[in-house]
Amino acid sequence: MLQHSILEVLDRSVEHKFLPPVKEIHDGPDVAFFLTSLAYRDIMTFILQLNHSMIPRKSESDGVKTTQVWELGSDAIALSEPIRKLQQLIGRLNSLLDEVPPDTGPRRFGNVSFRKWYGLVEEKLPALLQEFLSPDILSFGCLSSDAARITAADELQVYLLGSFGSPQRLDYGTGHELSFLAFLGALWKLGLFEGQGPGIAERGIVIGVFEPYLNLVRRLIKSYTLEPAGSHGVWGLDDNSFLPYIFGSAQLAPAIDEVDPAPIEGSLPEAPDASSVANRSLVQRERTRNMYFSAIGFIFDVKRGPFGEHSPMLYDISGITAGWGKINKGMIKMYNAEVLSKFPVVQHFPFGSLFRWEKDPDADPPPQATRTIHQPLREPQVPGGDASRARTGYNAASSIAAASPGPGTSSSWATTPSNPPRGMVDGVTRAPWVSATKSPPPPVKRNRPGPNG
Amino acid sequence: MSDLDKAIAQLRACRPIPESQVRELCYKARELLIEEGNVVSVDAPVTICGDIHGQFHDLMELFRVGGDVPDTNYLFMGDFVDRGFYSLESFLLLLCLKVRYPDRITLIRGNHESRQITTVYGFYDECIRKYGSANVWRYCCEVFDYLALGALILGATTDLAPTSSISLEESTQSTLPADDDDIESEVLDSQGRVQCKTIRTPPLRDPPTNSTSNGHISPAPDRDALSPPAERPPSSSLPNASSPTLGSTPQPSTSQQSSSSFPIHPPSSTGSILCVHGGLSPLIDTVDKIRLLDRKQEVPHEGAMCDLLWSDPDDIEGWGLSPRGAGYLFGSDIVTHFNRKNDLSLIARAHQLVMEGYKEMFERQIVTVWSAPNYCYRCGNVAAILEIGEDGANGGVVGRSNGDVGRRYGLGEEQVPHSSLPPPGRRYRVFEAAPQDSRGMPAKKPVAEYFL
Repeated sequence: MLQHSILEVLDRSVEHKFLPPVKEIHDGPDVAFFLTSLAYRDIMTFILQLNHSMIPRKSESDGVKTTQVWELGSDAIALSEPIRKLQQLIGRLNSLLDEVPPDTGPRRFGNVSFRKWYGLVEEKLPALLQEFLSPDILSFGCLSSDAARITAADELQVYLLGSFGSPQRLDYGTGHELSFLAFLGALWKLGLFEGQGPGIAERGIVIGVFEPYLNLVRRLIKSYTLEPAGSHGVWGLDDNSFLPYIFGSAQLAPAIDEVDPAPIEGSLPEAPDASSVANRSLVQRERTRNMYFSAIGFIFDVKRGPFGEHSPMLYDISGITAGWGKINKGMIKMYNAEVLSKFPVVQHFPFGSLFRWEKDPDADPPPQATRTIHQPLREPQVPGGDASRARTGYNAASSIAAASPGPGTSSSWATTPSNPPRGMVDGVTRAPWVSATKSPPPPVKRNRPGPNG
Repeated sequence: MSDLDKAIAQLRACRPIPESQVRELCYKARELLIEEGNVVSVDAPVTICGDIHGQFHDLMELFRVGGDVPDTNYLFMGDFVDRGFYSLESFLLLLCLKVRYPDRITLIRGNHESRQITTVYGFYDECIRKYGSANVWRYCCEVFDYLALGALILGATTDLAPTSSISLEESTQSTLPADDDDIESEVLDSQGRVQCKTIRTPPLRDPPTNSTSNGHISPAPDRDALSPPAERPPSSSLPNASSPTLGSTPQPSTSQQSSSSFPIHPPSSTGSILCVHGGLSPLIDTVDKIRLLDRKQEVPHEGAMCDLLWSDPDDIEGWGLSPRGAGYLFGSDIVTHFNRKNDLSLIARAHQLVMEGYKEMFERQIVTVWSAPNYCYRCGNVAAILEIGEDGANGGVVGRSNGDVGRRYGLGEEQVPHSSLPPPGRRYRVFEAAPQDSRGMPAKKPVAEYFL
């Protein structure tokens, strides 16, 4: 049951060579490689593992069958010491926000004070990690004493710092969210959450750390009016986030036994109807206990207008009658295709020793396109154009193979990433093609170089 | 009522027209647009609009605030589609109006009027959702390829544009200051009330010199796109040289035009205004070079055409790499040089969200106009449109370039080229998002394949 595979914890008795995480994804084909890499395997394993833990559990006491659900703020979710430390870390980042009020001067959109907050975080992060992570995590696998060597802290810091948006572009999107997931995954691999029963640490991570992280991010977005990176306007799932829709739909899926795979349809009997996401007052009620509704609640906080207009995808999904299990499965597929397979999102992801830029020997070869979902021609039809003009077009296949969700396969969510870079938004539009081909600007004739040069 | 008028009425009600009508409309639009040059000449008065991004109800609000077509002469600087829920209705309405009133509305291309961008940012998805196939998207993209790359507004005045043609009858008169000669720009709210104004300061002038300011702009024959820059008399860049459509008295050719190597800028007239979606390109140093591009293609990933649609002004010197991954950043020195060389008094562009709806930069040499209020339902910004008045319109008499030259500069100074042309009078109207309570929820559609 690969569905249940758990992210491997590294052996701390073996010397581990940490590596400074670096960018490896430079163009479309790199994304294809990424999807067969060890890093991708670990990310996907960790997401599925967290997802599985959030699904309600069947339980039985004194012969009475009950269902255990995992709501936000529920006492049923154990928060271990490491989880509480991480909560305090997030709390500290939150209080730094109080120290840096938004700039009141003229601005185009994003507030420049975000850069100050980010700078503070950057400055304090090494000390914060020392404070909230145990020494055996930070000096993991460090059997010899070499002060100059790269440590676990060096790798962790890169993923954590990458979780809060871009200080240059003043935006936040799913790429940053992915970075936080990687931070947690890295801690998992370093054994921070070891020694608890199945699903317990995972639930602590999602409810105890991830949701507080999302709340910090929402506060950042509102305080500094961070622009939505990766947003397709109304034509994306959400301007900023994706993972709460996965974990939140898992919370409402029908109950399973620990050893069962994630359900593919149906709902928890008492779950709110999927259609209630368009109902503001129902959302207000549910957002305090469910991550899906918490995310929708934030949309209502920041957007004005009819829900079906500003969030048509979520609106359409709210018409699904096959239950939250169905929605959960679809969300995972969609995350794989629209986040992990998209160049603009994953291009910034850095690879080190914990998330390795290395072929996964067990990775399936990228499946050939079996059918195309509603993707347009990627090769512009140039009216009266000659071949030389066609260089402007995409020429990679646009198809996303929808791998058949056969039983026992781990790749029910897998889709083929053959499509090249897509665009990215942050209020301004970003070119979806690869910037590596971009010729440099003409030299600046004056004495002072531009900050962007 | 013609079919076209019926289509306009249907689109004004925010209802898409049938695929067959879209096809016909796009065909007609292409026939019309193919005749336009890369840089369309537009005579003032004109109202300049920035990004719309499918915010149909806000486009209706724009027309309410700025006056309806054809009463008001409009210039839209691109980005009609993507991100919003009603790109289709917005673009098709603008296209219908273009076909119906070709001389009263000008559409130029934005970076979103592209196959590649629309497949990413929503217009493609929207067409699929609304028609079930990509045909309409394809028809629209074929039109995109024919949209002009820029526009040159001629005959602008330094005086503030009169508001008489605007539909806000009772409020407009009171907005005209008693002595509007000194008002350089003003900002009106959506009710036509003046929010603020700026007073014109005397223009700075360079010491007399014979080596600057050559007119490099051909008089932009609209219907002659590919005419080479060729030898045209520099003075032909004089504003108001031709504005037949607006009923101005044709000007007699003046003696100054032949005797001077410099364009003469009479007091109330000013240089031309270049309108382009993004900004400048390091490959383009004259407006005429834009005319030489072969525009009828998908927006390339790089090169002059790409830059015009993608670049942004920034507080740097010279050129900088754009964080967008296309186009460049350009500084004030680039704009100063370009405007002087091309006898421009202003560059109007769109492409960047501005909270206040418009933003003037580099000592009023360039302005960003943004016309999508509360962008993406969340940004909280207001939108703006920019009205440019017609030279001589205030007095109803033209020919100032013949008789009134030098009134402001004193005798003997007529032929001194300015270091920078005085900016045109600018009236901004800012407006907020249209009320949304009355709108119903759209129908749910089948979900994406992931959920099947």
